[in-house]
Amino acid sequence: MLEVIEAILSSTLDYAPALIFAALGAVLSERAGVVNIGVEGMMRVGAFAAALAALALPTGIAAGAGMLAGAALASIHAYLSIRWRSDQVISGMALNLVALAGITFLLETRYSPSGTPPIVQLQRWGLGSLAAVPLLRVLSGHSVMTYLALGIPILFHILLFRTPAGLRLRAVGEKPIAAATLGISVAMVRYAAVIGGGLLAGLGGAVLSISTLDRFEQHMPAGLGFIALAAMVFGRWTPLGAFGAATFFAGGNALRIGLASSAPQVLQIVPQGFLLALPYLLTLLVLAAQGTKSRAPAALGVPFET
Amino acid sequence: MRRREVASALALLSRQALPSLLSIALALLVCFFAIALSKSDFAVAADAYLQMLWGGLGDLPTFFATGNWALLTRAWGESAAKAALLTFTGLAVSVAFCVGLFNIGAQGQMTVGAIVAAVIGAKLHAPPGIHPILAVVGAAGAGALYALLPAVLKLRRGVHEVISTIMLNWVAVSLVENWLVVGPLRATASGDLSRSGTDEILRTAELPRILGSLSRLNAGFVLALVAALGVWFWLKRTSHGFEARAVGLGMEAARTAGIDVRRRVYQAMVLAGALAGTAGAVWVLGTEYKFPATVGAPYGFDGIAISLIGQNHPLGVCAAALFFGLLRAGGTRMQLLGVHKSFPELIQGLALLFVAGRLIWERFLGSGAKPRAAPIETTRA
Repeated sequence: MLEVIEAILSSTLDYAPALIFAALGAVLSERAGVVNIGVEGMMRVGAFAAALAALALPTGIAAGAGMLAGAALASIHAYLSIRWRSDQVISGMALNLVALAGITFLLETRYSPSGTPPIVQLQRWGLGSLAAVPLLRVLSGHSVMTYLALGIPILFHILLFRTPAGLRLRAVGEKPIAAATLGISVAMVRYAAVIGGGLLAGLGGAVLSISTLDRFEQHMPAGLGFIALAAMVFGRWTPLGAFGAATFFAGGNALRIGLASSAPQVLQIVPQGFLLALPYLLTLLVLAAQGTKSRAPAALGVPFET
Repeated sequence: MRRREVASALALLSRQALPSLLSIALALLVCFFAIALSKSDFAVAADAYLQMLWGGLGDLPTFFATGNWALLTRAWGESAAKAALLTFTGLAVSVAFCVGLFNIGAQGQMTVGAIVAAVIGAKLHAPPGIHPILAVVGAAGAGALYALLPAVLKLRRGVHEVISTIMLNWVAVSLVENWLVVGPLRATASGDLSRSGTDEILRTAELPRILGSLSRLNAGFVLALVAALGVWFWLKRTSHGFEARAVGLGMEAARTAGIDVRRRVYQAMVLAGALAGTAGAVWVLGTEYKFPATVGAPYGFDGIAISLIGQNHPLGVCAAALFFGLLRAGGTRMQLLGVHKSFPELIQGLALLFVAGRLIWERFLGSGAKPRAAPIETTRA
């Protein structure tokens, strides 16, 4: 029994980082008041760019390429929605469609339609003595991304709620006119937040192709960007909340896959489809229960006019 | 007098359509260079575009040489099948836009409609003329109910429809593709052949083909054109449609003017869901003849692109759907030149991006449009 729990916890720690980074990216952007439907597309370009870079460079640096690719897509979104006040949902959706078809095109032109050639996967770290302690030993044997995914949410929380920069960011997302009156450049803060969100979403994508797997596959990220949005909403637009929700969703997924291999008779009673739908259903239920008290930033999706 | 009216109508049309036409032209241009650069050869890019055109329109040069009509009708059938789906999902998005709601859920509504159509088509016995109608009505009803949910959540509980429709998309996909289609509704295996998807629909449920064996062109295309005209009539010629547009322009103002905002929003979302559900029915009854293992293509998301490129006008949606239906049917022929068949989707996505950023190039073109807020106000309850 202990081994089963450990196996599920361990695979949760492998699945979760991509989702956590992407959800944090969405939180960063939306806290500044810019809707980020484009997470899925940013993850896709991030995953692709990281896999490409890893063909030539050390895998650790390749993660940076993925982040930059995500940020590049995010900066288009930022430019359109901040400078030109385009509808943020439309711009994000357009980027999703462009990333979906554009990467397929590049993949087909350069490599096989199914994916890139395999690359050197990110190294997994053993935590030495910890490997002997029951339960805690699941922390050992993951790539650096897992440990980053456990640390960054805390840093992000401190940045957002304990520093002047975080206060400015939240002010811009809640009441931009008040922030502007205090001399804060709403546009600059929003640019920084959206592009920073792109870096995180790109990192989330990179995790898929260089840490979870060892190559980019055509279907990536297969809707994970939308689960990240669900995690953001479920976590009430806070870094720690989004982290918790993303880990919870990843745990559910690990449980589903674990059940499918070790106890298929359970899935006879509860079909996999239900388990797959669960994160979305839960998010809907929470939203419906919260009603108008939902914690979305007040200025979310509203272009700011100077 | 009459001439002046026609002239002003034409001017209005060109002013509304011009940004979309320019966006499409720009997207075509960018994608042309994308192929040319990736293949380091402009001739290949030109050839690929030509193949795409002949793939969608029919191979005109060979037709003129041989006079073989089948060359044209076959291509038209494929284009029309794609165009019909895009028209339905595009309308599903634009009808919701009219009351100020962003319906990202067309994909889910279409999936729900498709599975209902597949079940009615396979399990129910009915005479040929009635069977497809029953299946389409069932699918439209299922889509409508599925679209009503986000509308209720928005008006009763203040849940933003963008989030709820995204969630409902994945709920529908998970439950239909990962449970129903692989579980209770899985096709009964015949002999050693294991089949994917649901049971095939009965012959009586298939949408009739207009040109017989010459082409896969089926009644779904006609249905799509009728739907576009119907939506246009509802929006522009009925009092309910007028009130719906008023709600879209400003919920508070509409409420003050005595319009039953809640009812108009529900009505529009039910119509939007019914249209998306019908897309699912047309897909199953017209081309697939069963619910395959997966919907595969994001027709619902394409609907967003089609709706906005069509400037949310029912007839504009229809025109955009025809154009991109043609390109996408032609995309399969591009594969001869090593360009992926999803390439037209890139053109479509870029065109949407350019429509979203139209204020940029409108300024450069100096068309005098003052930068103003986004064309669609995302309303908050």
